[in-house]
Amino acid sequence: MRINGVLIDDTFAEAFPMKATRLIITAMTLKWAYIAANSFTGFASSVIACGCEADIERELSPEETPDGRPGIAIIIFAMSKKQLIEQVQRRVGQSVMTTATSACFAGSRSADLIPLGKSMRYFGDGFQISKKINGVRYWRIPVMHGEFVCEETSGIVPAIGGGNFMVMAKTSRMGLAACEQAIKAIRGVHGAVTTFPGGIVGSGSKIGSKYKFMKASTNEAFCPTLKGQVNSVLTDEIGSVLEIVIDGLNEAAIRNAMYAGIHAVCKFGPKKGIYRIGAGNYGGKLGPYHFHLRKILK
Amino acid sequence: MKPLSLTLRRNAFCRIDMSPLTPDRLQGVTKSALAKIQLQCGRRQVTVGGLFDIAGQDASLVQIRRATDQLFRIGCQMRSGMIEISGHAGDNLGERMQGGEIRVRGDAGEWAGAAMLGGEISIRGSAGDRVGAALPGQITGMKGGLILVEGNAGDRIGERMRGGSIVVLGKTGSYMAGKMTAGTIIAMGRSGQHIGLGMKRGTLVLGRKPPMVPAGFRSTGPLKMEFLRLLFKQLGMSRKPLAMFKGFGPEAIRMAGDQSVAGKGEILVLLNACVGSAP
Repeated sequence: MRINGVLIDDTFAEAFPMKATRLIITAMTLKWAYIAANSFTGFASSVIACGCEADIERELSPEETPDGRPGIAIIIFAMSKKQLIEQVQRRVGQSVMTTATSACFAGSRSADLIPLGKSMRYFGDGFQISKKINGVRYWRIPVMHGEFVCEETSGIVPAIGGGNFMVMAKTSRMGLAACEQAIKAIRGVHGAVTTFPGGIVGSGSKIGSKYKFMKASTNEAFCPTLKGQVNSVLTDEIGSVLEIVIDGLNEAAIRNAMYAGIHAVCKFGPKKGIYRIGAGNYGGKLGPYHFHLRKILK
Repeated sequence: MKPLSLTLRRNAFCRIDMSPLTPDRLQGVTKSALAKIQLQCGRRQVTVGGLFDIAGQDASLVQIRRATDQLFRIGCQMRSGMIEISGHAGDNLGERMQGGEIRVRGDAGEWAGAAMLGGEISIRGSAGDRVGAALPGQITGMKGGLILVEGNAGDRIGERMRGGSIVVLGKTGSYMAGKMTAGTIIAMGRSGQHIGLGMKRGTLVLGRKPPMVPAGFRSTGPLKMEFLRLLFKQLGMSRKPLAMFKGFGPEAIRMAGDQSVAGKGEILVLLNACVGSAP
């Protein structure tokens, strides 16, 4: 299968179940909502060492936010409920509450709940005020900029992590240009985020290592400098491989994001140095979700 | 199925206790059985069939037509469904109500929503004293739900209130939010004297400056209360008569008290409320 001359490998991306929640961060201006959201999602590229994966889903207009101010929707993923609760509490407390004029609201509803204001309220040292509006409880925590308003809980929803595709290009400059367009296209898909820096992975990994203390190590089959030295999947003309990893709230979101991203990359074609699209899998051992590239792109 | 309609034949000669006629209690009750239900009328008992013309069957919506202020305890301890009242409602409307909705096209008497736990009451006209207050002998008033009064309301609104919201678009009487421990009262028109007396927690939002800073309260000056944006946006979206709130800003003068009882309550006087739109 080829799209605009770019070869689509007959392979699949392997993904695994995660737990997620969506949060809405608002502030006096969109700039400050972004500052809070960027701080929250900083150092949240992979669960391997960050404890969670998180990214900005989209901007929200004042009409879409609970308090009528500009906002940002972010999604945070973790391997377990316990891990998710721990990471959300740390990040809301240290990144959102500390950002001037910010407020934090739930962006997903479910019976399984993660405490937000319910735990943040203790920062108010007894001066916090609870308000129930239209059946939803909010906490008003007095802080130096005024009040930090935070919804009591947010819903935990089942999610999927690890949807991916590899962009095999002539040079890293060419691969990066194509991947940047893919990230722009994926930003338009609701419920899907790319959690790595800039949405692009420059150092994709495989599970395990020759060193016992390493959980993951370099994916040598996709390293251009190791061609001829290892059982490489790369052909001679490929000089750089970049990976786009997608986490989503459901299979459809990941499928749509992969479709949008791969099509955006393929527009560049071999003339602009994009030769092949592949995907990372571990023979089906890692996760129950398999996203076959050729099925998605049909 | 048509909604269950009860039309009062003639003005009642004494107060009638309407508490047996809530949508949840009337579920599955046949028309003939309904006609035989006894209602307390002073010291006597009268049947529903003797007082009302009965039409329709769907008890999830009970329409009370030609209602007068002699019909009291309408929607008492109601749990679900809706009651629509054409005319006036008597005292104790929605007393200890737990869920569902009551709509009154006219006025309501005293104790509307007293000790209410949940649900919504909206009164197109005015309400008497003690809206959402505690019942005699009880120590807590309203604990949840929403009461909307589009007209004026009497004295002692939200006395001993412990949760929920009361919105009065018109004038309010004296002793509002007295001994309040939680919840939110929004009063857009002129307010009476001695507001927030003994208030321990909770929020009283005023559309107009009170005649004087209540004793026991200290002003913290004008502030931008971002919480008010949230409150007004959510209320504005919830009901049509409250849509006017959507445009209200967060600027308010905050008064904290009642410090005579070490209270952490607050009175927020809006600085940019469109008070002209309130009756």
